[in-house]
Amino acid sequence: MLPLSSCCRHATRSLLAFSDSNAACVGLPALNTQVRNYAKARPGVVKPSSHGFSKAQKKGKGGELEDTDQAAATKRKRYTAFLPMPVAQLTHPLFETDQRNSQLQLQSFHPEILTEAVISQALAFPQNDKDPSRIFGLPRNLLVEYRILSKPCSVIRGVTIDVINRLDLASQEGSTNHRLVIAGSPGCGKSVLLLQALQYCYMRDWIVLYFPRAISLVNSTTSYAYDPRTQTYAQPVFAYQTLQRLLTVNGPRLEQLRTQAGVEVERRGTVPAGASLADLVKVGTKEQVLAPTVLTAVLSELGKQTAFPVLLAIDDFQAIYCKTKYRDPHYSRIQPYHLSMPRLLLEYASGLKQFARGAVVGALSGTDTTFKLPLELAEVLSLPPTSPSGPYAKRVPELQSYAKGLSRVSVPDALAVSEATELFDVWTRDRAIPAAPNDELFLAKYSESGGNARDFIWKGLLSTLTL
Amino acid sequence: MATIGLRAFEMFASRLSCRPPRIHAFTLRSLTTGTTATPPPLNSRFVPPASLETMDEVELEGDQVDFDVSSRPHRPRPENRRPVPPSPAFYTARSLYYDTLVQLQAALSLSRRALRVQHLLPLPPFALRALPPAQPAWANKAEMSLILQAPLTARMYKRVVTLLKELEQCERIARIADSTELEDAITDITKGFESKKGIQARDTRIRAREAKEKGPLDKYGRSYTVGRRKTSTARVWMIEVQKPKDDASVPAANTKSILSSSSATTPPPPTSTVLINSVPISDYFPLPADREHVVRPLKLAGLLGAFNIFALVRGGGTSGQSGAIALAVAKGCVAHVPEVEPILKKAKLLRRDPRMVERKKTGLAKARKRYTWVKR
Repeated sequence: MLPLSSCCRHATRSLLAFSDSNAACVGLPALNTQVRNYAKARPGVVKPSSHGFSKAQKKGKGGELEDTDQAAATKRKRYTAFLPMPVAQLTHPLFETDQRNSQLQLQSFHPEILTEAVISQALAFPQNDKDPSRIFGLPRNLLVEYRILSKPCSVIRGVTIDVINRLDLASQEGSTNHRLVIAGSPGCGKSVLLLQALQYCYMRDWIVLYFPRAISLVNSTTSYAYDPRTQTYAQPVFAYQTLQRLLTVNGPRLEQLRTQAGVEVERRGTVPAGASLADLVKVGTKEQVLAPTVLTAVLSELGKQTAFPVLLAIDDFQAIYCKTKYRDPHYSRIQPYHLSMPRLLLEYASGLKQFARGAVVGALSGTDTTFKLPLELAEVLSLPPTSPSGPYAKRVPELQSYAKGLSRVSVPDALAVSEATELFDVWTRDRAIPAAPNDELFLAKYSESGGNARDFIWKGLLSTLTL
Repeated sequence: MATIGLRAFEMFASRLSCRPPRIHAFTLRSLTTGTTATPPPLNSRFVPPASLETMDEVELEGDQVDFDVSSRPHRPRPENRRPVPPSPAFYTARSLYYDTLVQLQAALSLSRRALRVQHLLPLPPFALRALPPAQPAWANKAEMSLILQAPLTARMYKRVVTLLKELEQCERIARIADSTELEDAITDITKGFESKKGIQARDTRIRAREAKEKGPLDKYGRSYTVGRRKTSTARVWMIEVQKPKDDASVPAANTKSILSSSSATTPPPPTSTVLINSVPISDYFPLPADREHVVRPLKLAGLLGAFNIFALVRGGGTSGQSGAIALAVAKGCVAHVPEVEPILKKAKLLRRDPRMVERKKTGLAKARKRYTWVKR
C-alpha cells in the first residue's frame, strides 16, 4: 500500500470507528484493517504518560493535567456539522418543549400521492432504520437543515413531478437513455430534488445507490492503492462502505436476486453463478481488499437483471469530472477515470455500462470551489462555463467521451410564491424562525432573496434581526 | 438692437396714435443773466453753459421744439461755437443709460395711457392674478452693461429691469386683451433688452415647470428618482406590479397555512422584483443587511409587492450603494403614494445622509488620528 496522507489517516481513524459501529449493527465481526503507525483510541483505556518531555511535565503540574488530557482525548469527538441539543434537555418552561412536538403535522411522502395536486405542499420523509438518507448520508447543508427542523421534509415543486415522470419512464427502459443531470443557480434546490427522486424510487421498490458527497471520492480523504490488474487506483475502504450501505438499504431485494455468471474474486476463487447477490456483497464486506472487485461485479449483475430498476444518484456530480486531489508517485494529480470509484460512476453516467432498467441521476453543486464545473461537462449540458472557454482552452477527450449524452434538468431559479409560502409555513410551525411570522416578513424576505430557496431561509428568515 | 433711439420712440408714439408728451429738457440758466428764478420755459432747447454768451437772445426765445431733429431748421452755426453734445445726459458719462431710462419711462406712461383709454387699466386684483405669469428673458447685468455701453451697478441694473418688468406687464395685458398693436409696439422695445442666455434660462424654467405640473410619473406610470450616499449615486425606476387579470390560475393546494385563508382559492400575493444593474438583488448584495436596507422603505410604507424596482447604481462600496438605492426607493414611494411621506420622514428615510469621508489634515495621521505624542 502506498504511504497514506495525513488526511487519509484522519479519515481512516473516523472510518474505523464508523466501520466498527456499522459492523456491529450488521452483525459481522469487527475487522482489523491495514493501518499503520497509530493505535485506535478506545474508550476507557488510559494511555500511559509519555516519558520524556511533555507539556504537563514542563508545567510541573504532574498527573492531574495528564488525566484531564486523557479524558478529553477519549471524549473528544469531532462533529463536522451542527448538532442541536436534544429537546428533552430543554426543561425550562420558556422553551415550551411540551408544545413543540405537536406543531409540525405534515403528510408523509408517499409515491402514490405525488401528482400535480400536491405541488406546493410540504411532505415529510419517512424515518426508519433502513432509510436511504440515513444510511447513505446527506449533503452537509441538508444535514444541518434537517437537524434544525424537527423532521426532514421538503416542498414538492413542478420540477419534482417532471423528474418523477421521467423516472417512471426509466423504470421500464435502460439507463442509457435516462442519464439526467440536475442543474440550476446556487441554492435553488438541486440536492433536495435529488433526495426527493431517491426517496420516490426507494418507495417504488427500486434498488438505490446514493452518493451524497461525491467530492469525498476525489478529495484524497479515503485510502487508495494501485491495482496492477485493473491498472487503476483502487479505493478499497470506500468501496467496502458502499457495499455495506447498499446491503443495509436494499437487503431484501438483493436477496431475491441471483448472479447470472460466476464472479471471479482475486485470491478467493469464484463465487458461483446462481448465488444470491446479498451473499456476493457479503464477500466484499468481509475483506476490504476485495471490495472494489465485488462492487464492480455487483453493479454489473444489477445491470443485467430486470426484476428491479436501479437508481444511481450522485450529488456533487461535477466532482467526478474534475482532476482529483490524489497524487501519483510522480506527484501529479490523478485523473478521475484512473480511480476505481469515480471510474465506476463515470462508466454508468456515460452509458458505457448500463442498467437494464433504471436511471443515473446527478446533481451539480457549486459549494466547493476546488471542484468547479469543468468545461467538458458545461459544454455538454449547455451551461455557462466557469473556466476559460473558447477554441484555445484545453479539453480532456476522455472526459468529453464520459460526458456524452447527458441530459439536463433545469431547476427554476426562484421558488413560486405558493412554494415559498409553504416553506415559510413549515419553518414557522416548527418554531425555527426568531422573528414574528407575518406576511410582512414573508414578502420582505421573498423580495430580498429574489425567490432563491437557500437565501430565503438562511440569509432571510434565519439571519434577520428584525423582530 | 442696442438702443431705442428717438426715432423708435416716435414710431412707438405714432403707433399708439396719441399725442406724445413734451420731452422735458432741462435748461440751465447761466448765472450771468441774473434773471429771477423762474421755471424754465417748456420749449427751450438745451444750450451748454459756455455757449450762452455767444448765443443771440433771438435764438433763445421763440424756439419751437420739434421732435424730428432732421426737420428742424438748421441755423448756420458760427465756427467758433462748441459742438453740441448729442444727448442731454452726455456729461453723466452714462448717457445711453440715462436716455434709456427716460425713454423707457416715457414708453411706460404712454402704454399705460393707451391701456387706460381701452379701460384695461387699472385692473381689479382678480384680473391681475389671472394674468399669465411673466416669463422674462432679460439680459443679466454684464450683458446689460454691454447693451447700454456703461458699467452698471446693481442698483442701476435693477432700475432698468423694474421698468422693463412694468412694460412687460402692460404687454401681457395687451396680449390678453387682443390689442395686438400695443403688444407689438411694446415687444419691439423690450426685445432689445433680452439676451440669448436669458432666453435659454427661460426655456429651462418653462420645461421644469411643465415637468413639475404633469406629475412625478412618466407616460408608462414609472417614477424616476435619484438617491445618493457617500460617493454612490443610484437612479431608480419604480413601476406598479401588474395584477393578474385571469381567474383561471387558482392553486389547487389545500393547506392550512398561516398566510393563506382557509378557502385556499385566493391567488398568491404579488411580490416585488428588485433588479440592480440588471442583476437580481440576491446576486448583487450578498449581505442580508444590504438587502434589508433596500427593501426597508417598502416595508415601512406597507408597499411590499406593490412595485417592481429597477436601479442603476454607480460609485462607492456595497453599503454606500445600498443606502443610495434605499433613499431613491423611499423617494419613489412618495412619488407614487404621497400619503406615505410622513411615515418615511419620521423614519428618516427621506433624508440624504450628509456624512462623507472626512479629509485628512496636515499634521495629523488621518482625519482625526494624531501622531504619537513624544514628550521631548
